[in-house]
Formats: sequence, structure tokens, C-alpha cells
Amino acid sequence: MKYILYQLKNHPLAIVGIAIIVFWLIMAFFGPSMISFTYTAMDSEHQMAAPGENGHLLGTDSLGRDLLARIIFGSRSILTVALLTSIFSTFVGVVLGFSAGYFGGKADSVFLRAMDILMAIPPLVLSMVILGILGDSNIASLTIIVSIAFVPATARVSRGVLLTEKSQEYVSAARIRGESHLYIMFVEILPNTTGPIIVEATARFAYSIMMVASLGFLGVGMQPPTPDWGMMVIENKPIISQAPWAVLFPALAIASLVIAISIFSDFVSKVLIHER
Amino acid sequence: MNDNILEIENLHVRFKTFDGLFSAVNNVSLTLGTNESIGIIGESGCGKSTLSFSVMRYLASNASVEGAIRYKGENLLDKTENQMEKYRGNRIAMVFQNPYSSLNPALTIGFQLDEVGMHHQGLSKKKAREATIDALTLMNLGDPKGIARRYPHQVSGGIQQRICIAMSLLCRPDLLILDEPTTALDVTTEAVILDSIKELKDKLNMSLMYISHDMGVINKVAEQVVVMYSGEIVERGPKNLIFENPTHPYTRALINCMPRGGVVKEKTKLNTIPGYVKRRGANEGGCPFIDRCDKRNDTCESKYGMRQIGEKHFAACDRAYATDVPDKLKEKLIPKSREAEQPFDENAELLKVEGLHKIYGTRRKVYAVNGIDFSVHPRSVIGVVGESGCGKSTTGHMVSGLYKPTKGRILFGDTDISIAWNKRSKETLKDIQLIFQNPGRSLNPSHTVEQIIGRAMKKLANMTDAAERRQKIIDILNKVDLGKDYLEKKPRQLSGGEQQRVAIARALSISPNLIVCDEPTSALDVSVQASVLNLLNDLQVDTHAAYMFISHDLNVINYLSDYIMVMYAGKIAEYGKRDEVMEPPYHPYTEALLSAVPEVDPTKQKEPIELLGQLPDPAKKPKGCPFAGRCHRQVGEICEKEYPPMVRFSDSHYYFCHIKP
Repeated sequence: MKYILYQLKNHPLAIVGIAIIVFWLIMAFFGPSMISFTYTAMDSEHQMAAPGENGHLLGTDSLGRDLLARIIFGSRSILTVALLTSIFSTFVGVVLGFSAGYFGGKADSVFLRAMDILMAIPPLVLSMVILGILGDSNIASLTIIVSIAFVPATARVSRGVLLTEKSQEYVSAARIRGESHLYIMFVEILPNTTGPIIVEATARFAYSIMMVASLGFLGVGMQPPTPDWGMMVIENKPIISQAPWAVLFPALAIASLVIAISIFSDFVSKVLIHER
Repeated sequence: MNDNILEIENLHVRFKTFDGLFSAVNNVSLTLGTNESIGIIGESGCGKSTLSFSVMRYLASNASVEGAIRYKGENLLDKTENQMEKYRGNRIAMVFQNPYSSLNPALTIGFQLDEVGMHHQGLSKKKAREATIDALTLMNLGDPKGIARRYPHQVSGGIQQRICIAMSLLCRPDLLILDEPTTALDVTTEAVILDSIKELKDKLNMSLMYISHDMGVINKVAEQVVVMYSGEIVERGPKNLIFENPTHPYTRALINCMPRGGVVKEKTKLNTIPGYVKRRGANEGGCPFIDRCDKRNDTCESKYGMRQIGEKHFAACDRAYATDVPDKLKEKLIPKSREAEQPFDENAELLKVEGLHKIYGTRRKVYAVNGIDFSVHPRSVIGVVGESGCGKSTTGHMVSGLYKPTKGRILFGDTDISIAWNKRSKETLKDIQLIFQNPGRSLNPSHTVEQIIGRAMKKLANMTDAAERRQKIIDILNKVDLGKDYLEKKPRQLSGGEQQRVAIARALSISPNLIVCDEPTSALDVSVQASVLNLLNDLQVDTHAAYMFISHDLNVINYLSDYIMVMYAGKIAEYGKRDEVMEPPYHPYTEALLSAVPEVDPTKQKEPIELLGQLPDPAKKPKGCPFAGRCHRQVGEICEKEYPPMVRFSDSHYYFCHIKP
């Protein structure tokens, strides 16, 4: 703990990153109770209102919906999906990558080729195709699809860190003690790979926010009326000359969160990996 | 101007870290004359490398340096980075410990050496290549043109290091800094390199700064010796004075804890230095050695300081010649406290190995072990010695079950155990334990000491009761001189010696009958090595386990073993009882090995037998005597063509050679 504080002191940028993440978490949890508008209410008197007009802190869109309310409610869905995605893809990635790397041989080759094929398709296209077929996107389907798109990357990273640890002598020591494969993989090796794996998971967190926002932008993300940051950008694009804030604020929201998480991820990698 | 090439004055180097400011080099002053060589010795963590890096101005960004480093009268600490370029690599060159990581594996050797000349001396590509070939010729590398075209991984470690030295000599520097250049190499290679360094020093009129933890090596190359402890110089002076008449208690302790030729376990216990080198805070003063010193008294702190002992001989101790404590140097040997061990049964066989082969790889084959037969008697210690790549570790790993033999049988008692770990019974796994070379890597960094030791007991000795197990673990920790406080610690909180003790405790916790020790002390400092060897020896007397002790260090093998097996290129060269092997008649390889071991006693200098050529290519199926290509006693064509017959001297002593006794 003390060590983390010491590192924080040397990396002031990380404090900014963490502050922004905390800000968005508070918004997602308590934001809805702090504002007086709902995300669907249309203020027909004040369409495309400028920020501050008639109590709309960030203004309204072309239908007169409060932008702040939509951004705050939008943060809930995007954070939920991103968090679940990074946990889920890391979990599946570790299990797959560890098994392939540990047993090696044919299983490993098959695994690598399968991952190559998945990786050859851009994740965004892959997700779009699956979502397009399913038609109906919600939090659950978005999570599963984005996770599938991310598994190859996390699995490869997990396989890589397992391979470096596998050659360590403590693994040999466990083998000649007659330990089972599962024990060696998850009790002996896993605790020593948490650093890179956590770093990968936080990086995935940032990527999945980008991905969910992009899917929203392309119209295959969360379905209206649920607000979605990416969708907000595209649906307000026609009014960009009259009400630029309607595009600017959701875009800023996406950018701030993604950058903050990237900074945080860098910091985590410094603390966890360089500690040894 | 005097003719000192390097003058270091009151040098302080401090590092700012998370744990606060600590001092790595503290008030160090030394001078080095032209064409003089200085040896810097001390255990790891004593600031030797930091000292040499600060001469190159090559320190991490969290370091702060005070004092003066004068190269030919100019203070290097005042230079800007750009000005330093003129010195670094050009006037002052450095050779690092690990040649493999100092050379870029993606570029040819010639290209890397050419760069030096082109960058520092502005030579054209053609001229640079000429300089490169010159430098390689200087190092006596046969076929320099061919070597220049190769990549680093295509030559052996010893040649890589010679290339690194050639690279450092390219600009004909005045000052060459060598940071443990031979530590990673075999003794035979080390002997060759040390000789050429010495020769080149005079030929090129260079000054040398040679850093090593090995007294024997320093004895060979240095004229002046500086002993460092915890960032400070504790003793300095001409080599002969230091080795013949060491004054500082640390120097004495260091000399005494090396197992030297002739020291054997029945007669002596090795001297050790209790404790370990501690990091010092920036403001701590006084004698750094005080908590490990056996001669300290109340006046130590107040009277601390450098004083002159003789001409050019200084030591930082007031009690250097104290008479109220017995002089350990004169009574070098502490008799072993235990009663002599009962002799073991020479006819019983605990482990019997027959025609053991190991071939790695399927398409590109590597012949690691090529048919060896030996047996281990219960309660005895067999020492396996040889250069790296001779198959000694592979043999140990096959016995302990990490690898399955390609051919041949391993019999343990009545059971055939020529199978890998996953097929062995719990009993066998329990009975044969393995201690690894690097304790830091053989203990899981995420587990506590209690988990590490307890797991083996739970898994193999069926001790399921946690409380009972914990009590047993504490008992064992006490046996290896660690206490109950260590239960909750994790390996990275322990020093190297402590880690190896935990590894030993883990092996012993389930009372095995055979412990395979794979170079258990080669990653440790000499003082720690001594205490680990003492411990292994005591424990062997107590537990009656047999050891198969693998090491490249003949002194260590000689100290601990009852039997010695000399291996070369996957074959046994010589086998016999310790005294039989250590005395003539020798196998020519044993003779060469023995001659290459650096001697600590300056009066007993000897000429090493230079082994020319390289180890036989392990990818080719061996034919004839594997040693023939390097042998200095080759008798004729028969050596290349026919595998030598076994020559027996006694029931237990034999070697494989065409030379008849």
C-alpha cells in the first residue's frame, strides 16, 4: 500500500487518470439521483438548448432531451459492459492460454491457429456481424460478443506469461513432487503471472469502452431509448453546426474515460511488473 | 603530473529508492598507475560494480555521485554526456560478466566490432574491419575472418567473452575495466582468458581494474588488491601483502571460507562469516563489518578509520592485529565437532545406473549423456564434476525424474525408475529429492516458506494435520539455522543463502534417501557457500541420506565427496574414491581441470594446462575418445578412432583412456 502511494507520488498523471475513473464511477452509481431530468424526457420548449439554458447543464439534443442525463445514464451501460467484458475475456483467455501453453504440442498448435483465425478478423467487424445476425443487442449480448472478440488477445498474453514461468525451477520442483497439472497451473504458476494479466485486463477495459462506443456509433450497440455514448454522437451529428455540444460532450465522455483507463493501465503495469 | 591513470577521491554513490536513500559506495579513494592492475574483491552487494560503473559514468538515474574520479588528471564527474563519449569505450573500456547478453544476437560479430571503430575513431568501413580482425587476432582467436562473419550464438561462451574483450581493445584503451568477466565460464576457459588478459596488459600498456568475488582469480591477474565491504574499502595494498598477511578481519574471513585444495569434510569445517551484507543508509557511519566481525570490541566504533599497516598497505580496522582474540588465519582449520561418521557400506547399492543415455530432440539430436554406468552407496556422497555441457545436470535430472532416459536403466533399490516423474510412485518421489542451483527460481515467489515446505510433507509424507505439520516445519527450519520467524516470509524477503536453506529444508522435510544437489552453491557468495556446505555436511551425518552432488567447482567437490565422478561430453572420464581421483594417476582431463583451478596462495602459483579447441559438437554422435580433440597427452590416431578402454587401478578407481599406467 505504502509502495503504491510512493509510486503515485512519482507519477502525477496516474492520479489524474484515477480521479477521472473515480469520477465516472460516482456518476454511474449516484449520478441519476443527483439530476432532475430523466434520459427520455423531451423538453419540447428547449430543443438544441445551449449548455446552462433552462437548467440543462450540458444543453439538450434535437429532441430536447437533457444531455447530462443521457451521458450519465449512458455511463452505466458502457461501464457495465466494459467491466464484464474485461473480466470475462480475461477469465476465458487465461484458461485457454494456460491450457494451451502448459500442455504444448498439438493442442497448442491447434489453439494458436484458431486464435490466428479469430484475430485475422477485425474485432469490430466480427462483433458487427454477430450482432447484425442476432439483431437485438442488450448488455448481455454485447458483453458476450465483445468478449469473444477480445479472447484471442488475452489468451495469447496468458500463454506467453505462462511459458516464461513454466521454465522456472519451482515448476520442476512441483512436478517431481507429483503435483497435478491443474495444481501446477493455477496454484503454482497463476499467482506469479497476476501482474501482466491484470495489466492486460485493464487495457482490455479501455479497449472495450472504445468498442462499445464504436458499435453504438455504427448503430448496432444498445438499442434506443437506452442512451449510449457512441449512439449519441451519431444521432446528434446532423445538428453539429447548430448545437456542437450535443456531439462534443458524449465524445469527450468517451475520450476522457478511455484515456484515463489507459493511463491507469500504464501505472498498474509500472507498479505490478517493475516491482519484481 | 604523476603517472597515475586513475585517481578516485572520496567517492560517494547514493541511490534514492522506495526504502529511502542508501549508500552503495562510501568514501572510496584509490589510485591506479599506468600499466598497473588492480583487483577489487568483495561479496555481492559490496559496491564493486557500482564503483566500476561510476568510473564509466554509467549509473541509474536515481544515483547521486559525490567526490572526484580523475582520469589522467581530469575529473570525469564534471564532464557532460557528450564529452564522456570521448572516454567511454574509447579511452576507458569495460567488459561485462555475461558475454551472451552483451552481444547483440541479431548482428554478426564483425558488424558489432566494426561499429566500435567507426563510431569512436571515425574509421571507414574497410579500415574498421581491419581493426576488427586485428583485435580478434590479438585475442588469439584462430580464423578471425571466419569468426567475424558469424553470429554470437554460433560460438561458445568462452569465445564470446574473448570477442567482448577484443571489442573493448579495439580502440586501444588505457584503462580496461573487467566486471567478473570469467564468473559465468568454466575453469578451463577461465584459465585461458586470464592468461591472455595478463599478456595483453603488458603488450598494449593498459591499466586494468578487475572486479571479482573469487580470490583465486584476483590472485592471478592483479598487482594491487582492494577489498570492499558494504560500499567501503576495508583493506588495500599490494597483492602479496594482502594474501600473505591479510589484516582486516573481513579479508581474513573471506580467504578462510573458501574450500581450498586439500580441505576435506572429515577433518575440517569451513570457516563462515555469520550474517550477510546489509544495505547501508546514507547517514550510517562507523565500521560496516561490525555486526559480522568476530573480533569486535567496545572501541571499534570510536576508533574506526583507515590506517597504514605497512608501505602501501592500508586497512580500515583498529583491531587488525588484536592479540586478545585467537588468530583464525593461523589455525585455519576448525576441527569438525561431530564424531567421525561411521563408514558406509561399500558393497550396498542405493542407486545403480546402467548404460544411461539421454538424447534431446527428435530431428536435430543433441547427445547429452552417452552411456554411463555408476552406482551410489547408501549414506555416501558422490560428487559429479565437469565443464558445462558435460551432461552432469542431465544425469541428475534423470535420476530425480525430471527427464526420462532415452536408453539405459536406473535402479533405485530394487525398483526400476527409468521413468519420468508422472509415472513414478509416491514412494520414489519422496525418496529422491532434488536441490536446484538457483534457490530464487526453485522456490515459488508467491508462496510462503511454510507453504513451500509444508506442501511436500502434505503431498508425499501424508502429513495432513496442519498443526503437527507446522511443528515439524519449525523443527526443520531450526535445523537449517533458520527460525520460526521465517514461516510467513516469502522467498524474495530472504537472502540467497536463506533461500537455499529453505530449499534444503524442503528436500529434507520428508526424509529422502537420496538427495540430488544440482550446483546448490554456485549462485551463492563464498561465505554463504561455506555455511551451506557445512550445513549439507552436518545434515548428511544426521540424516544418513546419500548425496549426488553436482558441481563444476573441484574444490567444493573435493570437500564434500566420498566418491568423485569426472564427466566429459556425456561420458565418464574418471571415477573413484575422492583421494584416488585427486591424486595421480589422472585421466588427462582430470589433470587439466585440476591445473586450471585458481590458487589463492600466492606462493603456490601453477601453470594451467591450456585446453585448446572446443567441446565436441553434442549434435554429432560421438566417435573415439570424446576428449581427443583437446587432449594434451594424445597418444596417436587411436584416440580419434576408438573409444578408450576402461583402465582399472583398484576396485573403485578407473578411468577411460588409451594411456596405460
